[in-house]
Amino acid sequence: MDSWQLRIAVLVSIGRNPVSGAARPNRNDLLALELARKAGGEVTILHAGDPNEPALADYLAYSAAPLETIPLPGGQDIVPALAARLQGFHLILTGSRTEGGEASGMLPYALAKRLGLPIVAQALDLAVAEGQAEITQFLPKGQRRRVTVGLPAIIAVHPMAPLAPRYSHLRRVSGQSVALPAPALTESASTAWRTEPARKPVVLKAGEKKSGHARMAAAITSESKGGTLVTDGTPAEKAQAILAYLRSHRLIEF
Amino acid sequence: MSGIRRINPRRPFRITREGIRRIVLGEEGDAGDITLSPVARAASKPLRLVGEATATLLVVAHSDRGALDAPAREAIAAAAILADPATAVLVLVLGDLAEELGPFGADRILVVPECGNGAFLPDLEVSVLSDVIDRFQPRHVLMPDSPTGTGDLGRRVAAALDAEIATHVVELKPDSVACYRQGGTLLARRGLPRFILLDPGAIDAALPFRGAGERLDYAAHAVAPGLYRDLGLKPVAGAALPLEEADFIVAAGNGVRDVPTLEAVADLFGAAIGASRVAVEDGRFPRDKQVGATGKTVQASVYMAIGISGAVQHLQGIRACRHVIAINSDASAPIARRADLTIVADAQAVMQALVSETARRNWPGDALDEARADG
Ligand SMILES: Cc1cc2nc3c(=O)[nH]c(=O)nc-3n(C[C@H](O)[C@H](O)[C@H](O)COP(=O)(O)OP(=O)(O)OC[C@H]3O[C@@H](n4cnc5c(N)ncnc54)[C@H](O)[C@@H]3O)c2cc1C
Repeated sequence: MDSWQLRIAVLVSIGRNPVSGAARPNRNDLLALELARKAGGEVTILHAGDPNEPALADYLAYSAAPLETIPLPGGQDIVPALAARLQGFHLILTGSRTEGGEASGMLPYALAKRLGLPIVAQALDLAVAEGQAEITQFLPKGQRRRVTVGLPAIIAVHPMAPLAPRYSHLRRVSGQSVALPAPALTESASTAWRTEPARKPVVLKAGEKKSGHARMAAAITSESKGGTLVTDGTPAEKAQAILAYLRSHRLIEF
Repeated sequence: MSGIRRINPRRPFRITREGIRRIVLGEEGDAGDITLSPVARAASKPLRLVGEATATLLVVAHSDRGALDAPAREAIAAAAILADPATAVLVLVLGDLAEELGPFGADRILVVPECGNGAFLPDLEVSVLSDVIDRFQPRHVLMPDSPTGTGDLGRRVAAALDAEIATHVVELKPDSVACYRQGGTLLARRGLPRFILLDPGAIDAALPFRGAGERLDYAAHAVAPGLYRDLGLKPVAGAALPLEEADFIVAAGNGVRDVPTLEAVADLFGAAIGASRVAVEDGRFPRDKQVGATGKTVQASVYMAIGISGAVQHLQGIRACRHVIAINSDASAPIARRADLTIVADAQAVMQALVSETARRNWPGDALDEARADG
């Protein structure tokens, strides 16, 4: 299968500097690009949006891959246009969440549904062999999980992937960038959302109608839920009490 | 009439755990009611649901070793707060369940023990959730937006059903959800969509009522092996983990003098080490180990506080910890009110006992070592 060539598409969005708000490459998408480079194969960078966005050229500086842009005005659903271009790729890599725009993390899932492909998210590392991708996934609490998925597949890269994308000015100026023909406009993306200036969110609390006495009682007791108190026994018995608690909640295995 | 209010010296009182006699005004209590166990008090809360439920809100959460974490309990509380008196809160637990969910606000519970504990089973979970949605027709589905857990599952199912979804929800109201946009500079709001994925901290999980907590039978249909394969978990060693990520933390305060023994205890549990501000400022631990308001906020399943008084600034950092175990020579230290288990003893003696009591345990590795030593 030497003639078989792994074809990888990396989806990139435009990020923004959190302080100045200036457009820049999305760091998470850069990690996806770096992971694609590491996996080997023929990489294409794909963006749906304004082909004249200057920050796009920065993506060229991080990889030797060509950049293709599908011209789409803002507010358009980018899934149909991306899906049409993504036929024939073995791996579709993307960051987990955009920095601008909706930042919902839904794009890889919506694409997976549209293309009928499996999706694995939170990838820290990736290796391809025999029509399969083996992925190390980030799990909280210091766990990592290894999974495999049959190709073609969509893989969303975790923002903590241990990769260091490298900038090259030469690639930035000599890189290849093409604007694809503009697709016919389709339905607009969901408009149910209204925006307002950011402020501290209000925590949802249960409304409570309480008598003065109940409030007083709660003030005395509610936070003091207090668990079991062990006062008697030798240190060894007390140590056993701790171990018994941990065992009964399956927190230790000895 | 003398005009002096006289107080009956024999009026009802209760004795607190610290042994102090306490008179509760307006209470009919019987004298000497000593323990106020959490279970007894939960049961005394009124049931939220009255009569037959005509609608359902669904909460989906993964369990870990039979228990739900704080974000899962927040999602259940969110549903219980949103639900009207004729709407039941149905909780789908992916993984086994060994605790009561009624006190958290759950009315009905479905348990799928095949999932959970960190297994990667997207095909099975999508099938189970789709089936439950199909059967119970919930008005909304709420889940924690945990990246690899229900956050992943919710996005899969919302995409599959082409349903409306709000992710990373930081604010929930009875009629709207809000999440950040444009790197946190904007708040976007909309009416409640079908799927609501909650960021941690958006809900106060304390409820003035309880759910019915009734467990329903549920058998998941088997699914054909698909394209995904789980090769298993590989943990990163506790000591090497940043505190924020650690699942087990052994923390030392001013009552711990012997740092090597503390390290031995941490080692025993594969735990990361934390410290109170006083212990850090005394130079016994580096600054990055400090837990609390001016230190780190941690999410460990187990937080063992040794010789830590439990000042509010410290407790702020461990709000999300599931099990708190305290070792303190003072039974009235504030940590005892936060802890699930408090050992009243000298820290040094208990730490040494922990090490010696576990010296003979059966490590898989130990058996090998012994075999080698014998042979
Ligand atoms: C603005 C501000 C911010 C702060 N931020 C933080 C923060 O981020 N993190 C933090 O931790 N603190 C913080 N603090 C300090 C906090 O208020 C407490 O002073 C501190 O947490 C107390 O640390 P401790 O419990 O180790 O010490 P202590 O208060 O001295 O308590 C020691 C405890 O150990 C017990 N003890 C003593 N000897 C033994 C023994 N031999 N065996 C068993 N138990 C024993 C004692 O009974 C006592 O309960 C902050 C304070 C302020 C004002």
